[in-house]
Amino acid sequence: MAELVIEHLHKRFGPVRAIDDINIHVADGEFVTLLGPSGCGKSTTLGAIAGLDQPTAGRIRVGNKIYFDGEKGVFLPPEARNCGLVFQSYALWPHMTVYNNVVFPLKLRKVPAADCKRRVEEALALVEMERFQDRYPHQLSGGQQQRVALARTLVYQPEILLLDEPLSNLDAKLRDRARTWLAELRTRLGLTTIYVTHDQVEALALSDRIVVMNGGRISQIGTPQDIYARPADSFVADFIGTTNFLTGAVAEAPQANGRTLVTLADGQRVTLQSERRPAPGDKVTFAYRPEQMRLASDNDNATEGSIVEAAVVSHSYIGGRWQIGLDVGGNQIRIETQDAATDRRLRLWLPLAGGILFTDRTHA
Amino acid sequence: MSPDASSVLASATADALPKPLPSRDTAIQYGMALLTVVLVAAPLVPVLYQSLLDRALYDSGQQFTLSNFGRLFRTEGFGLVIWNTLVFATLTTVVSQTLGTLAAVLFGRTDMPGARLFGELFLWPVYLSALVLSFGWYTIYGPAGYLTLLMQTLFDGAPWNLYSLPGMAVIAGVSQAPVAYIYCMSSASITDPTLEEAARVAGAGTFRTLWKITLPLLLPAIAYSAVLNFTVGLELLAIPLVFGDPAGITVLTTFLYNNGVASARPDHGLVATAAVLMLGAVCVLVWLQGRLLGNTRRFVTLGGKATRPRPFRLNRLRWPLCLASVVYLLATVIAPIGALVLRSFTSLLSPMVPLADVLTLGNFASMLEYPVYPRSIWNSFIVSALGGALATALIGLIAIIVLRSDFRWRTPLHYVALFPRAVPGVVAGIGFFYAFALVPGLGGLRNTIWILIVAFTMHYIPVGLGAVAPMLMQMSPDFDRAARVQGADWWTVSRRIVLPLLRPALVACFIILFITFFKEYTTAIFLFAPGSEVIGTTLLQAWTQGEVGLVSALATLQILVIGVCVTVARAMFGVKLYG
Repeated sequence: MAELVIEHLHKRFGPVRAIDDINIHVADGEFVTLLGPSGCGKSTTLGAIAGLDQPTAGRIRVGNKIYFDGEKGVFLPPEARNCGLVFQSYALWPHMTVYNNVVFPLKLRKVPAADCKRRVEEALALVEMERFQDRYPHQLSGGQQQRVALARTLVYQPEILLLDEPLSNLDAKLRDRARTWLAELRTRLGLTTIYVTHDQVEALALSDRIVVMNGGRISQIGTPQDIYARPADSFVADFIGTTNFLTGAVAEAPQANGRTLVTLADGQRVTLQSERRPAPGDKVTFAYRPEQMRLASDNDNATEGSIVEAAVVSHSYIGGRWQIGLDVGGNQIRIETQDAATDRRLRLWLPLAGGILFTDRTHA
Repeated sequence: MSPDASSVLASATADALPKPLPSRDTAIQYGMALLTVVLVAAPLVPVLYQSLLDRALYDSGQQFTLSNFGRLFRTEGFGLVIWNTLVFATLTTVVSQTLGTLAAVLFGRTDMPGARLFGELFLWPVYLSALVLSFGWYTIYGPAGYLTLLMQTLFDGAPWNLYSLPGMAVIAGVSQAPVAYIYCMSSASITDPTLEEAARVAGAGTFRTLWKITLPLLLPAIAYSAVLNFTVGLELLAIPLVFGDPAGITVLTTFLYNNGVASARPDHGLVATAAVLMLGAVCVLVWLQGRLLGNTRRFVTLGGKATRPRPFRLNRLRWPLCLASVVYLLATVIAPIGALVLRSFTSLLSPMVPLADVLTLGNFASMLEYPVYPRSIWNSFIVSALGGALATALIGLIAIIVLRSDFRWRTPLHYVALFPRAVPGVVAGIGFFYAFALVPGLGGLRNTIWILIVAFTMHYIPVGLGAVAPMLMQMSPDFDRAARVQGADWWTVSRRIVLPLLRPALVACFIILFITFFKEYTTAIFLFAPGSEVIGTTLLQAWTQGEVGLVSALATLQILVIGVCVTVARAMFGVKLYG
């Protein structure tokens, strides 16, 4: 177990920059998730750590071991790294039983036969698969295969654990259970772990820290709470959680306490509390989580938020509640309500705090 | 019961990673690459070298010269040889493409009764060697053939003459039609059947749909297999040797055979130059195949679930077409092979003599009487089994280096390994003959079956790769990656993971090579010596001596062995032979 340091990592395929200057420092025992849409470079980064892809430039170090150093021309082959990698496809060898799959890395390391048996059993017990030793992979369900793949990786005590979308091949119900189980296991193991996923729910539930990636670059690194509450840009806000975006122009420079007045395209005004300090006239995007928006009631007062008029575009019943599509000053947003709002127009209450203002162009 | 996680992970001493042997993977990869290059270059370099020398390459005092080329073209009758070769190859292609495409549509896409069975029978010529098929045709349609004699008694002579370019092309076309059939069938199976249904719904009838939709979609397959069959037509030795030579019709292969093997004082400069010419022509054709195959991707129809295309309804034509198919298969496949087998159990086969009077086992008795025949049978088995196994091992290793390693030269190695496709059997035979004469230490192998094993292996590397590569490409790379990450080097991964998973493909490769080696004769007749005969060479020798009964017996044996192999392979292993 050791810390992982990635510095200025680059990977180019011809003119395409698959990874563009990635810097990550993962502490010993930390669980870090690489999160992003497909093609964002997260799997390439994982492949670079495991030694399956050779990066173009940069450095990767685990503990005192240099895995890759572009300047010095160091590239350790995967077999010399002692990483543990669980594949999205699990990659259990179909011609070997569960026992033979798990014992393979121990045999490579010339572990005495008696120890082998004990350790395979312990590893399988850890994932609650000890009764399946003599089965072949095709006789197991997806969830069981995934556990065996994990046991096969844990049995040889890798320096760091790499997980490549291990839950994505499971169906929705099983995935929920496997996630809970994985969260519990990770607190017991305390292994330095890099977890790759495109599923924000997994990332939020499991990670100490999340690295949000986009287009080969890091958009934001932070704790799940950080990322959710204070997204660095509109891409992160859009990717994590459901987010409604509004665009407008800054009407007045922010006051000392951060209150900023923004005018929507149709002239309506919204006040919000912002850490960022745009200049008057700047085009800005600001975002609300759906749970922060609600229909305005008569006793809402404008000092704690803003009330805006919205046109109803669509209604759909989604089980227990309604999802309502709205047009607010030319912005399409969606909110959820308890009762079917049948009016053509609605009044929407936007809280003063909680809305996040971005000065970049909206991603949504 | 879930033990404490720490007991798994907290043992004080971490396991030592296996000591990597950094040179091992590299040594194996470079070693195999070198072996492959030497094997492929072995017949080519001496042929090229000889074509530029003014005398035989084992004589002393040779000088480089380009005069061989001029001499070759001034050789009397060489122009006619080229003309015959082109006419023969072209006619063969026309016949095989017409028959193959018709069969693919008729047996593969219509509701004709017995279509599946006919499809199986149609394939049979491809399992047998063209040599055996020629003898079968001779037994039926030759000057003293069963049907020829029958026609002579009934009418005023038979309307066919096998000893002519069209006659030879019909036999070659029938023997190559399965290739066109297989390509058309596999093209049809990946075509989206809704394309045809759309035309039907739009109001097109059966034949309009066939003509406007089905056939155009088959065009890439027809074109590709046409180039393939044209190439085979150029390279074919058996049929021109059996039927062309007696009639004085010489093509390039028989030219090489007559001047290289059959001649008392071979003119090596001339032979090598003609071989180089042939090599060049075939190289161009193989390159053309590659281009056409590249283009076919554009015709691969997208979408479409794995639904069976709806068969075309023939209506009133069902039974007439079925009858025509029966007649065709009887005339081209069943009768020639059946008559050949029957001939091996008789002293004479003629419509004038009752069968019961001539039944005998004498042909098989005399086959066992002369030591050369049992020896050639035994040698054939050894060459096929041992050679097939060695070749499979070599091909398996080449395949994993090319497709499953980070070997620096894997792409060039792939090209080298596929290059024998462009080397005709006669050229490989001549080339290995020179190579073993030229390299001092190898003289001892010259009169053994090892020279045959080496030559066959080289010639059929691409065939074996074709059997192994698809499975290797379908196998998830995660299997090897998982083992690599866990600490196994490339060679350990190959031995423990990749090759065991590849076993079905390796078995298929072995069976295909066994059959191919068992029926091979073209390369062998340039290389065999007393003691290292195989069935193919003794067949030709017995034929030259006019021992028709012996030829039939040997051919029957070969048909039997191949028949058993094909049946077992298809039933037990589900091996797809060809295509």
